[in-house]
Amino acid sequence: MHRIIVGLLALTASAWAEQASLAFSIDSALLQKTKTATPADDAEFLRRVWLDFDGGIPTAAEARAFFADQTPDKRTKLIDKLIAAPRFAGRMAEAFHVMLMERRGENDVWKAWLVACFKANKPWDAMAREMLAPDFLNEQQRGAGYFITRRLEKVGQQDTDYPGLTRDVGRLFMGIDLQCCQCHRHLSVDDYKQIDFSGLFGVFQNLKLQATDGKHKTPWVSEGLIASKYEFVSVLTDKKGQTAPRLPFGAEVMIPADSGDDAWLVKPDRKTKEAGQPKFSPLREIAMRLPAPENPLFAKNIANRVWWLLTGKGIVEPLDLHHTDNPPTHPEVLELLGKELTAHHFDLRWLIREIAMTKHYQRADATQRHLIAEQQLRAFISATGEQTRLEINTQPDVNVDAAKYSRADFQKAFAAALANPAKEPELAANPSLRSALFLRNSDHVQWALKPRAGNLIDRLAQQADPADDLYLSTLTRLPDAGERKQLASWLSAHATDKTKALGDFAWALLSSTEFFVNH
Amino acid sequence: MNPLCTPRDHTFSRRSFLGGGLSWLASPVLAEAMKQKDKQVLFVWLDGGMSQLETWDPKPNTEFGGPFRSIKTSVPGVHFCELMPKLAKQMHKLCVVRSLCTKDNAHSSGVDRIQRGDPKNRGVPYPHFGAGVAKLLGPGSSGLPPYVWIKPGSGGFRAEDAGFLGPKYGSLAFGDGKPPENLLRHPDISADQDAARNELRQMLDQRFAKQREKRVVEANASVFDMAEKLMARADIFDTTKLPERDRDRYGRHDFGQHMLVARQMLEAGVRFVKVTSYGWDTHGDNFNAHATMVPKFDQAFSAMLEDLEASGLLKNTLVICLSEFGRTPRINGHVGRDHWPEAWSIAMAGHGVNHGLVIGETNARGTEVKSQAHDIGALFHTWYHALGIDSHHVEFDNAGQPLPIAHDDMLPIKEALA
Repeated sequence: MHRIIVGLLALTASAWAEQASLAFSIDSALLQKTKTATPADDAEFLRRVWLDFDGGIPTAAEARAFFADQTPDKRTKLIDKLIAAPRFAGRMAEAFHVMLMERRGENDVWKAWLVACFKANKPWDAMAREMLAPDFLNEQQRGAGYFITRRLEKVGQQDTDYPGLTRDVGRLFMGIDLQCCQCHRHLSVDDYKQIDFSGLFGVFQNLKLQATDGKHKTPWVSEGLIASKYEFVSVLTDKKGQTAPRLPFGAEVMIPADSGDDAWLVKPDRKTKEAGQPKFSPLREIAMRLPAPENPLFAKNIANRVWWLLTGKGIVEPLDLHHTDNPPTHPEVLELLGKELTAHHFDLRWLIREIAMTKHYQRADATQRHLIAEQQLRAFISATGEQTRLEINTQPDVNVDAAKYSRADFQKAFAAALANPAKEPELAANPSLRSALFLRNSDHVQWALKPRAGNLIDRLAQQADPADDLYLSTLTRLPDAGERKQLASWLSAHATDKTKALGDFAWALLSSTEFFVNH
Repeated sequence: MNPLCTPRDHTFSRRSFLGGGLSWLASPVLAEAMKQKDKQVLFVWLDGGMSQLETWDPKPNTEFGGPFRSIKTSVPGVHFCELMPKLAKQMHKLCVVRSLCTKDNAHSSGVDRIQRGDPKNRGVPYPHFGAGVAKLLGPGSSGLPPYVWIKPGSGGFRAEDAGFLGPKYGSLAFGDGKPPENLLRHPDISADQDAARNELRQMLDQRFAKQREKRVVEANASVFDMAEKLMARADIFDTTKLPERDRDRYGRHDFGQHMLVARQMLEAGVRFVKVTSYGWDTHGDNFNAHATMVPKFDQAFSAMLEDLEASGLLKNTLVICLSEFGRTPRINGHVGRDHWPEAWSIAMAGHGVNHGLVIGETNARGTEVKSQAHDIGALFHTWYHALGIDSHHVEFDNAGQPLPIAHDDMLPIKEALA
């Protein structure tokens, strides 16, 4: 009797837990509007979660094991396994690097900071705070400063791009593109006013990029003194305005009345090259107020961006145009995500897992999108079976075939050929002439498709029927009857050189659209 | 980052600037209707600012004239600086405008403003002339990219040149006149093998397209097609197989060899070819610098004119040569000339423009334009008209917002048009 009650309780408890999950609520909200989504089959699901949480694709053996697994909750187990794997932090760091820096360049300290954040599952508000008001003297945090310092680097004869930095803070942390409001009220977005841009602009324009010195191991920024409100004028109406440091749509931060020496914590001194440190730091004020539960756009922005990362579509699109006249496609879902994420203290790993658990994420007709360069690289070297060799070759030797390339060489070549141009939101990796020529003619691609001990072509050449292995290794699925026939007739037509024929067929698969999209 | 707004922000801004809902605004004439097969453009850009006084508009024996003499040209009464003896013999093919008066005297804004034609501040970045032509005339039948740029230094695709027209119309730059990376077939792959496996790739994609969104497959197919066409014409980058005489005639220097590649591009049917020569910003030692650089320009540009005429291409190719501004008549303390947008010259030839003609004049000291002054907007109108595009009626379509293709307060230079 007791046992039964305990059993019943346990059952109810787990059912209750499921119904209380965010994933369940999301699906309930979505299902009100759409018909039941057909779930993706095992192969599609497997490839999708690998690309999303590992950044690469599973090996043929891993795929076979997953297909053979009869456990009912194998998908949940796989999600949990991939999220717990060390690689998860690396993949998230890559995705957030591309999102936050938009191909402005690579920086090891920044990359290491991102990886450490995702490894420790640092809450998003803490990450945002570290990026917005970096502590450049703190070894664990100074990498975050790259977000600001890179954007303040001078390019040729152009002025330091303070408006660009201001714009990006709005875009990337609040999902609002205030660019037009630099000079006038937004012409098509009523919500965005010139004061919203100016309140942030005054804060960022007050920064000065400083070079690495004895105390600072990275470039850093000093802050000037702000003693009065920032004044602006509309180029359309000549109407003047002024604002203290202020979050968009928020209240102004009071500027303290201190003046002269009283205003400085450390006085600037030209002789000692001391940049000075004012008592009032508008940057810290903004960094405290922006990533906070009181600023609902902060949670909505990141929820929408993580949703986009995993599903290929934002609930609000463009991702940086949240405003009244651009309503979310599913307002209740975005509301829910924002609220729950806030309640969970901006725990991104939790949010990612919840989204991955939804039927919506696991559906068959998910949005197709091109992989980013980092995913393409990882998928490519995993498919060709060259991962280990490339990792070992830290000192490449062009004269030795097996030691010709390092992983870094491949990374550089893939990024050069496949990454989008700098300073554009990489919403979709676009195929280009460069990428087509790279796939078709480059030595990197050609090299990986030559038979070499233990790689894909070498392995396939030893099999009487290589179709399964080839399709599993490249496309994470088994070939259908037509595809089997196609491969067989290709191999018999090119029977004189089997490894060459296999290399060519693998090349066609690896250059095909199916390989370069997330399904 | 560009401080201007992005196109999408201003979708309806022109209407609201004009007071809203004006029905007289003609709908943009469809670009499709304008597409014409054979017209081409060669756009020679002398970056930094070539001195008009040491080239097209010499003022010998005057206060600011400098040390060089002037020489007669093939058109009676027209003189060039003595540094251009070869072009002087071809003046009858040229249309020189000596009355440019533009606005920006900084490189950073000038380069952009001149190449975008400055159609007033519309709040959106305007396309460079090359992108505008690529859009309005289309890629032509060659299958090659419509807007290519041959330049010293690095290459790559420059989407920003297209402004609001969108990345599709950006320039494909060939750094050092070299082909893009990985253009040639891999040495380990035979031509048959290459073709066979590429055909297989197409088959796989077609199969995939049947089950999925076609759009994604089409995007891939189009870049592979472009790659294919460029690979097939890899010869246009190779000047080594040309007769030695040709390579000598253009000059064995960067600009000469780049012009030779440009000629091959034009012959292959590329719609718009831009060639850049850097280093014309002679704030110091202006005269020695021009004495070195102008003859190279003279050599390559005149060889190009000869060849285009001989092959008949000059009939359908509009040739334009300019900088972001001219140079100050006043000679500074470093024996240099500084930036001078107030009074400078450009040269044109070929399709749609008059030839053997000088338009406008500067005063005796070369400091100001004496005749009617022309801003860059007038030149854009002139060029579009020369290409058969009515620049007062044809408009760009910026996501539903009609925008003029050239400054709407300006007119083409009538005398320049054939």
